[in-house]
This record gives sequence, C-alpha cells and structure tokens, in this order.
Amino acid sequence: MTTFLPQYPFPPSPVLLFGLLLLAGVVGGELVKRALNLPRIVGYVLAGLLLGASGFNLLDEELVQESWIFVEIALGLVLFELGRRLHLKWLRNDPWLLATGLLESALAFGFLYVTLTYFGVQPIYAAVAAAIGVATSPAVVLLVAQELKAEGQVTERALNLTALNSVVAFVLTTMLLSWIHHEYQAGWTTIVLHPVYLLGGSLALGFAASVVAIVLSRWLGQRAERQFALVLALIVLTIGAARMLDLSVLLALLALGVFSRNLDTRHDVMTVDLSGIGQIFYVVLFVVSGAKLHLVELMTGGGLALAYVAARLAGKMIGVMSLSHLSGVRPGTALMLGVALTPMSGLALAMVHGTADLYPEFGARLSAIVLSAVLILELIGPVAVQFALKRAGEAKDAV
Amino acid sequence: MSGMSGDELEFTPSKGLTVGVEIELQIINSRDYDLARDAADLIGLIEKAPHPGAVKPEITESMVELNSSIHPGHDSLASELKVIRDTVVQAASRLNVRIAGGGSHPFHTWADRRIYPTERFRHLLSLYGYLAKQFTIFGQHVHVGCPDGDVAIYLTHILSRYVPHFIALSASSPFQQGEDTSYASSRLNTVSAFPLSGQIPFVHSWSEFLEYFEKMRGYGIVESMKDFYWDIRPKPEYGTVEIRVFDTPLTVEHSAALAAYTQSLARYILTDRPFAPQRDVYTLYNYNRFQACRYGLDGKIIDAYTQRHVTLKEDILETLAVITPHAAALGNGLALAKLAADVEAGRSGASRLREIFRERGSLNDVARVQSDVWMGAGEPAKAKEAPRP
Repeated sequence: MTTFLPQYPFPPSPVLLFGLLLLAGVVGGELVKRALNLPRIVGYVLAGLLLGASGFNLLDEELVQESWIFVEIALGLVLFELGRRLHLKWLRNDPWLLATGLLESALAFGFLYVTLTYFGVQPIYAAVAAAIGVATSPAVVLLVAQELKAEGQVTERALNLTALNSVVAFVLTTMLLSWIHHEYQAGWTTIVLHPVYLLGGSLALGFAASVVAIVLSRWLGQRAERQFALVLALIVLTIGAARMLDLSVLLALLALGVFSRNLDTRHDVMTVDLSGIGQIFYVVLFVVSGAKLHLVELMTGGGLALAYVAARLAGKMIGVMSLSHLSGVRPGTALMLGVALTPMSGLALAMVHGTADLYPEFGARLSAIVLSAVLILELIGPVAVQFALKRAGEAKDAV
Repeated sequence: MSGMSGDELEFTPSKGLTVGVEIELQIINSRDYDLARDAADLIGLIEKAPHPGAVKPEITESMVELNSSIHPGHDSLASELKVIRDTVVQAASRLNVRIAGGGSHPFHTWADRRIYPTERFRHLLSLYGYLAKQFTIFGQHVHVGCPDGDVAIYLTHILSRYVPHFIALSASSPFQQGEDTSYASSRLNTVSAFPLSGQIPFVHSWSEFLEYFEKMRGYGIVESMKDFYWDIRPKPEYGTVEIRVFDTPLTVEHSAALAAYTQSLARYILTDRPFAPQRDVYTLYNYNRFQACRYGLDGKIIDAYTQRHVTLKEDILETLAVITPHAAALGNGLALAKLAADVEAGRSGASRLREIFRERGSLNDVARVQSDVWMGAGEPAKAKEAPRP
C-alpha cells in the first residue's frame, strides 16, 4: 500500500551528506563570526564537533569515511594552490626564506621529539608525532588569508613557509615509514621500497599532470574560464590517480602545483581563482575534521597535548625569529610570521593514513598522542593566523 | 594649517635648464600579476642599501615613486635612472614582487586598493573618496630648473601649447580595469575628475600668480601648491616648472628621453622666446589634450598660434627639427634622434601594450611583460629587435 513511500532506515546518500555538512558549516561559521568575530573556520570545526562523536553523533565513523572523498578534493585544491605559490625563484632570490623554512622545521621536529620522549613516549611514536607536527595546516592559513583578503609579505611568506614545512613533514614521515615497517617485522623490500615508491611515485604523478596542464593550457590559450575547467579536471584526476595507485594525494597535488608553476617557462598556465569553488569544499573539510575530534581524548591526554603545543610553538617561533630579519623584511614581521605558522590540522594524520591501515594498532596509539594537540590547534590556529595577518596590517580593512 | 609659510612660496632660483624626474611605478605580484601592496616593505628594503636619488611612497600601497637628482642633461640622468632601477629591481626580487612602468595597471580593481598609511594620504581619501583609490595611476613628472618666478610663469604658458606632445610621446595606459579603453592615455581621464586639476590661470608674472594663490588660500580651497593637480605647475621650493601629464613610460630609458625632449624644448623657448603667452592656447587646450589622449601620435590638434590643423606626429617631428641645435647644446642629440625614429614609425607605449595583448591574449600576461620590460629583462622572443619605448 505504501510502497511509494521511502523505507526507514533510509539508504545512505553522499549527496545528502554533502549538503548537510555544508549547511552545518555555513551556519556554524556565520554564528562564530557574528558572535565572537572569530574566523569562520572555527565555526566549521565546532559545527563538526557538535555533529560528531563528541556531540550528537549524527556523523559517526561510517559517515566520516563516506565523506572522505570531499575531504580529499578539498585537500587537493588547497595543496595545488599552495604549490602554485611556492615560487622557487623567490627561494633563490631570498635564500634566507628557504633557510628560515628549514630551520623552523628542524627546530619544531627536535623540540617535539625531545619533549615527547621526556614524557615517556616511545621513540618511534615520538618521531612520527614530531614529524607530523612540523607541518603547518595549509588549509587554515590559505583560508584565513582568503577570508581576510590578506596580501603582503607576512601572508606570502607564511604560505611559502607552510609549503616548505609541509614538504619537510612529508619527507620525514615517509622516511620514518621504514622504521615503522621494521618495527612490525616487514620484509626488507617493503622497508626500502615503500618510501621510495611513495615519494617517487607521487612526485612523478604530479609531474606528469603538470606537463599535461602546461601543454593543454598552451593549446587552450590565455582564457581564464577555459583554463579554470582544465585545472579543476587535472586536480580531481590527480587525486583519483593517487588514490588508485596508493600514492600520497597530498604530495602529488603539491607537486602538481609546484611543477605547473615553476616548469611553465613560457607562462602558458594562468593563475586561476579557485577560491569560489574551493570554499564549498573547504567548509566540508573543516566540518569533517571537527567531527573526527574527540573531546574525551583531551581530558585524558591534556597534559601531553599542552606540552606538544608548547614545544611546537617554541620550535617554530625560534626558527622564524632567528632568521627572518636577514630577509630584510620590516621589524615585527618575523613575530607575526611565527604566529601565522601555528595552525595544525588533524588531516596531518592523513600523511600516515596508509600506515594506520597497515598497522591499526600503531595508528591508534599515534592518534592518541597527536589528536588532542590537534584539537587545541584546530581551534586556536585560525585565530592565530587571523591575529597575525591583521596585526601585520595585511587584512583588507586594515587602513 | 600646513607648514607652508610665505617663505616657501618664494621662488628658489635654480640653475637654469637643469632637469630631474619623478617616476611613479607599479608594484605587482608574481602570481597573477595583479597589483600588490608591498610599498612599505619595498621602500624599507631599498633604504638599507646606498643608492642615488630617492624612493618614496605614493597614495596607495601598490605604488612607489622614484626621484632622480638634478641633472645637466640626458646622459647623466639616464645612467642614474638605470642605477636606481637596478636597486629597486633587486629589492623587489627579494620580496618576490615585480615592478612595472606604464600609465595604468591593465586589470586591477580600484576598490581593492589600500591607501598608504600617512596622514596626508588618509586626508586625501577622506576628501576625495573613491577618487583617491582610482588615483592608482602612474605618471612621470619632469622638472625643469628656472632662474626666477617670472621665467617659470612664461615657460609654463608656452609649454602648455606642447602638452599634447608630452601626452602622445608617453601614452602607455590603453587598458584600465580589465578593458581596452580605446585611449592611448586613459590615465589623464582619471586625473581630470579632480576639482583642482586643469591649468594655471592666465597670469603674467610671479607676483600676479602669488595674488591668485593667496586668494585661493584665503578661501580655504588650497593649503599649498601640492593641492593644485595642474598639468603644468611652477614648483617654487624647487625653483622649477613641473610637467605632470606624462604617463610613466615602459622603460627608464624612455623616461630619460622624455626628460631630454622637455629640457631641449625649454631651452628653445627660453633662449629664442619664440612666442608670447596667448589665451587661445587655453581655449583650444582641452580639445587638443583630448586628441592626444584618445589617438596618441595620430591625434589632430589645432595650433593656437597658426590656426593650423596638424597631426601630433607631424607637429612633434617639426618641433624636433626646430629644437635640434638646443638638444645638441645640452648633449641630448642622440636621445632625441631615437625618439624621432619612434615617432616616425608610430611606435608608442600604448601601441606596444596592445600588441602584447594581441600576442598573448590575456591582460595578466600584459602586466607580466610590462614588468619584464621595465625591470630590464625584456621579452625573450623579442630580444633581438631594436629597443623600443
């Protein structure tokens, strides 16, 4: 009699899920912006927290898995954009910027490793957790900069340093993979070849896609609307290919951005504005990362988390402050630059995603160490970036 | 009140016929070649290294102004400008920004501009509203030294007849806000919107000019000479006449050539005294000016002294012939010969920019090439061709 009516429980629908995540993010972001004048990202994360396991549990583990595809597209867009901003010529013209990036990465890693082992974390976990902490969240820095329409030396340098420390973090975690494999008695071929495959394969994929981008851009001509679709197609294609080949989506997309910018000697690839379409995916990205956070873990691992946050901040600040002035930027820039590198994202864990799949126990123990720090930084990070860019006078309505 | 006392309106005599320039430049980013806003960092960095001349902020954070020293003629000016350019380019490269010439940025959006945070520029924003941000256009000012105020007034009136020349020779703002304006120099249309733009009143002596100035100051309309945005204005504290209608050229070499043309012309005017000031110059002024802005070297002007209709190309070539001995006396001969060759061939900054757009197909790339050309990198594909304005 009522066969035309839908049956409960409803079948899962990715489209419905996407709409729900987007709606929750938009509302949460706007509330936070209006009530507290904080970056909308904080609202997206809070909306996710509320919907996730720590809140009403509307977004359970299964649904979060379901939404992973949107998260990867969002990350792909961010990493591509970040890669486009990594201008190798700049690093040649201002070698101190490169030196700053390497030093702050090294110090953050060192401080984190020492702190974590001091608190009794086993060396291998300490090393991987420290490597993850090297990376600044590209999505947070890029999004807050876009939201504020910020531009200037702090904004540009923060984005370039973020690109640099993301690369360093990636290389570190990949190298540490060998150690993890060794720990779990994997064969020598796996220990040696897995990192090589990940690094080499992801770079090669990004390189191949960038060659296609350059050749097709030349053929399409300098028309923003045509190149927009081309770039989007290649981003999504590269994400799909990286997934299919068990490569790193993050590194492949970063490589696509870097190569398409720096190999394009004839200036055929235009810089297209992805922020419009990106925005939609970014909202979903942050709602999902909020949903993945667990408040309970903060209660249990709170002390360690605070030590983690402090050690990371100290490493980055000291690194940036000790070399930035050699770049000849205005006084005060270095401090704001250091602050702008604060954000960290739970998605940094995506870097060892594969590992967690291979060795679930390792993944679980690592998450326990890192995730409560992530929870803190996921909320503080956007505020720090907003503060730094406004203070540096680089936000749109500064004057 | 401003610090402008009566003394500062006294005409400081300067060595006759010396020349100096101010050049406003675009700071653009290396990503999509839109205007950037790094003026403060750029100026700070330049100040750290010793260099001739001066580098100053302008009304929005996307602009920077170069000032040369005072020069006897073209050659020393040109070599100094190249040194300043190299200093600026080096500083810019450390900040990953680019510097471009040209009278306008091809596609920036004026609403995105931010006022450089000084008291004067903030005051201009509150007074002129959106015009202050639209004033993100780039001009070159040429100063010619004068022995006294009366000479400066005479020179100003006679040079007014040649304003269309200056416009056509420097025109390099065909694109604005992402569109081809159809003008060779669209920049001056933006200047015209200001209430105190235009020309000097028809006064005959420095004392008569001072009377006018005091009257305007009495009304509270102006506080200092800076408030007049005239095409040509006397600058008493420098002891110069300042010509302000030039678009910033695409290269510093062309900047120096324009200064050489102005200086040689001034020498002709002050040595031969060929004309008396005439009201008709101002009657025809706006028509002739429009022709120069709209059509560049192809514009047709009416000579107030002969009532003759003539194209700017012809009129400039004739003038160049007349002032040749004066150019030679100042050592400007070679520079003006090159300028004449460009005029003969109908080459201008505006035509070159349109050509780049036809070749590349996007205004982003026009801005990129525009900055390559100014920074001295040139266009790789065109490197073999003779240098052009």
